[in-house]
Amino acid sequence: MRILLAEDEQQLSRAVAAVLTHMKYEVDVADNGLEAVDLAASNTYDCMVLDIMMPVMDGIEALTKIRASGDVTPVIMLTAKAEVSDRVAGLDAGADDYLTKPFAIAELAARIRSLTRRMDSYTPKVLSFGNVRLDTTVSELKAENSVRLSQKEMELMELLMLNPGKAMTTSQIIDKVWKDDPKAEEGVVWMYISYLKSKLDAVTGNLVIDGEKGGPYRLEES
Amino acid sequence: MIYGKYEETLHLVMDQITGELSEYNEKIKKETGDGIYEHLLARVKSEDSMLEKCVRKGVPQTPESALRIMTDSIGLRVITRFRDDIYQIIDYMKGLPGVQVVAEKDYIRHAKPNGYRSYHMILDRQVPYEDVDGQNPGHYYIEIQLRTIAMDSWASLEHQLKYKKHIKDPELIGQELKRCADELAGCDLSMQTIRNLMREDE
Repeated sequence: MRILLAEDEQQLSRAVAAVLTHMKYEVDVADNGLEAVDLAASNTYDCMVLDIMMPVMDGIEALTKIRASGDVTPVIMLTAKAEVSDRVAGLDAGADDYLTKPFAIAELAARIRSLTRRMDSYTPKVLSFGNVRLDTTVSELKAENSVRLSQKEMELMELLMLNPGKAMTTSQIIDKVWKDDPKAEEGVVWMYISYLKSKLDAVTGNLVIDGEKGGPYRLEES
Repeated sequence: MIYGKYEETLHLVMDQITGELSEYNEKIKKETGDGIYEHLLARVKSEDSMLEKCVRKGVPQTPESALRIMTDSIGLRVITRFRDDIYQIIDYMKGLPGVQVVAEKDYIRHAKPNGYRSYHMILDRQVPYEDVDGQNPGHYYIEIQLRTIAMDSWASLEHQLKYKKHIKDPELIGQELKRCADELAGCDLSMQTIRNLMREDE
């Protein structure tokens, strides 16, 4: 599980990162909102924790930009003020939960667990990017033509469509799609990427997967 | 006789192209161990069918109608194991002497809404025999359908749906056939990909 933590107070940031890392999370730290937006655009996270009050770009603006890019990762906002308006603004911008400072790190961890547990239900049933649609209820990939996908192909396509334009490494893909298969390695990822390359071509849409054997792979409009 | 004195020529023109395809198949088999097609069907449209078609299209039952208005007096169906083989055969046929493509429709890249997939092509072939216009060398049409085994078995099932009179719940059957077509297409593409990956490793 990978977490993005955007918090400008160094002491707090280090403490939270240390505890989460100890809990076996991978943690990327941003010092301001702009950095958080950049990290979110190039990496895939299971949860993001954003402070509202940050220099350069505040947490609300950062969240608005992240959501505008189509990113549906669960987000927890941190706020120092106990003001209702701040929380409302955060939730309206697309936050899934909030915590008021000061908070117990154990509570933050519990909320991260709760949100990531529910992540499946956040994922929309029909995803679209470019002129291609993926209907996950029937495993159908559709543009001008449609084809049906196998379970793993669909999970991989879903991952790519939830992260359009981002470079996904082979190990990131294995962590998400083959998490239950300890024997999964580079070869199976390349095979399934190859299937999807040919199927994207066959539905005559405008998406391609960029990347050769070994990765990274990026879903983009052609 | 709907084809008049040209009936025999139709068979010669058909045998020529099936012979060429069969030779090409043998050549590819020697190179790769696998033929380029699985099987090949060829027929000259029967007298009865052609007469019936002229009536249906409202044209006189003459050799001119059968050989100039209709383009399917000679019909070929080429069934392949893999998707890419279809395109390789098309390239081969386009390069044959005297062949001009009159029309082609790629229902594989552009499947019909019901899920039908196939590649259709009408060729005009110049041959060293007289044609219905009295020219020598003459010109004969050849209609060709190319598809994979999976597309072919789907088409035969869909054909039954079209011609059977009383089908319970045709809407559901149509919907399920479409799903099958898309699953078969997925499978064809996966098998093609596996073959490509295996050949890369050789």
